[in-house]
Amino acid sequence: MASSASHMLSPDVIKVARSRERRAAWQQTRVAWLFIAPAVIMVTVFLLTPVVFNVILSFTKWRKFTGLDQFAGMANYQRLFAVPYFSEALGNTALWVVGAIVFPLAFGLGLALLLRNIPFQETFKSLYFLPKVMAPTAVGAIWYYVYAPHGVINSAVSGLTGSDFDFGWIFVPETVTLSIIFTFVWQTVGITMVLLLLGLAAMPRDPLEAARVDGASQWQIFRHIIWPLLLPTVLVVTILNVAAGFTTFDLLWVMASSYPGKRTLSLAVYMYYESFSNGAWAYGSAVAVVLGGMVITVSAALAIIQSRVEKSIR
Amino acid sequence: MTTDITDQSFINSLIEKERRAQASGGRWLMVPIIALTIAYLTPFYYLFVTIFKTTEEYATSGVLQLPQSLAPLVDNVVQAWTLANLGSAAINSLTYAGIGSALAVAFAAAAAYGMTRLNLLGANGWFMLIFTGTLFPFQMYLVPLLFGYQRLGLVNSWLGMLLIYVAICIPFPLLVLRNSFSGITREVDEAARIEGASEWRVFISMIIPNATGPLIALFLLQFTFIWNDLLFSSILANGIEVRSIMVALQSLQGTYSTTGPNVVITATLISSIPTVLMFVVLRKYFMAGLQLGNK
Repeated sequence: MASSASHMLSPDVIKVARSRERRAAWQQTRVAWLFIAPAVIMVTVFLLTPVVFNVILSFTKWRKFTGLDQFAGMANYQRLFAVPYFSEALGNTALWVVGAIVFPLAFGLGLALLLRNIPFQETFKSLYFLPKVMAPTAVGAIWYYVYAPHGVINSAVSGLTGSDFDFGWIFVPETVTLSIIFTFVWQTVGITMVLLLLGLAAMPRDPLEAARVDGASQWQIFRHIIWPLLLPTVLVVTILNVAAGFTTFDLLWVMASSYPGKRTLSLAVYMYYESFSNGAWAYGSAVAVVLGGMVITVSAALAIIQSRVEKSIR
Repeated sequence: MTTDITDQSFINSLIEKERRAQASGGRWLMVPIIALTIAYLTPFYYLFVTIFKTTEEYATSGVLQLPQSLAPLVDNVVQAWTLANLGSAAINSLTYAGIGSALAVAFAAAAAYGMTRLNLLGANGWFMLIFTGTLFPFQMYLVPLLFGYQRLGLVNSWLGMLLIYVAICIPFPLLVLRNSFSGITREVDEAARIEGASEWRVFISMIIPNATGPLIALFLLQFTFIWNDLLFSSILANGIEVRSIMVALQSLQGTYSTTGPNVVITATLISSIPTVLMFVVLRKYFMAGLQLGNK
């Protein structure tokens, strides 16, 4: 037995043990590859490759039927600003982003503060959340008739004022974007409220109690205690809503189905219209690249702000 | 005279006073809350009176008036069902959403296991690669996908729809599951490994059962996303045999449609039943899914 101990320490044995260990580690990596392979392949083939191809495509002259023939340099990007549709769509997208940040947050916060300490809170939460479970296509179809000339809103106004009211909310350029944003807010306010309520519930009670004892007003409590503590949640909600503001498509497409200038209603709609109604694939790709650049830049900026805020609170 | 602040009856009276103050504040708040909620739910009220009206009744009566009888519902459902082929569209969407979401969550779970439990070289790099899939707006996928699908003969095919839905539903669940798998203690699987269990066995019988909550929540989120999608299905599969329920719904609605609002509204109700039903029955998991994030 004594000889076997010295035998175990011989260089040969160590080498064998090392290589066995290496083989085991190697084998685990190979097993790990099998575990990640389906996800990696699916994402690479169906998401990442198309994105790269989309960027390349935006520098060509490709249309639906002409085939991928020649490069066009920056021509598609120069054309963006040469046609009035793009600028209009860009302006409306800006309106969408601002609206998607401000309104769900303002109404969601108001609702969250109202519902914070009341009986049947769960029931109210579910009611306000319900539209979010429905498809934007279905919500859009319902609201199309809510806004119709003889629809719900005009009937309600007629009933209240006694005069015949038939305003074309989603049929005239002055109100079409704001009307559809309002429907978006109707669908989104519930989830925003639920997330803010989670943030409120997680809030430490001590500073609130202390401020109340010291005789702080409701506004002071909100401004100096609730708001700063809620800021990380507010930023999470904002990141979600900004992305939605930039890219909302289904709701717009369904609700604007009777609006003649629908291509100008947002960049997401403009991209779809140019690519699939007009067959201008390369030009549509350029619009998608511009949209992607803006979404990624703004989301990244918000993510950096959010991580700073979270650090400063801890 | 001083009050003994540790006296239990004194504390109880304070708690009682606080509760009463809160309850009366709550009761006063109920009036605006209920008014607001009624206004908020008006579109649903409109939906429920409209599905019981005939097209003629809809045109002649006020939109918010109660229906004359409940009978027209049957005809509305039959019309919506036959005009838009809702039956086959519902089966298509049910399979896209059911199979697609299950596969996506399964692939994401396997990848999360490989990244958190095994000695995977460059695990962070692999994660970032997949996570990149959440950054781009869908608009950047559309034209190349349509082109590629045309080349591969996947346009207007059931398989083509399933593939894109699976791919698009992988990155977010991976992000969530990577976090929740990291939270499961390593002793569990180390012990099983020493006993000689294969990695597959450890994954299936040690890790999965410890993460059923997030797995169900993620399945529901992705199911809802696929069922509700119009963008991908309207471009890649608008043929009548493979189209999704949302494409079918959209075909009823709009400028060129002569379908009555009562039929369209009935179709929106039918197309919302599965997700709303899941929400009502599995509310707990939906709300848990919210805390994971939202897509």
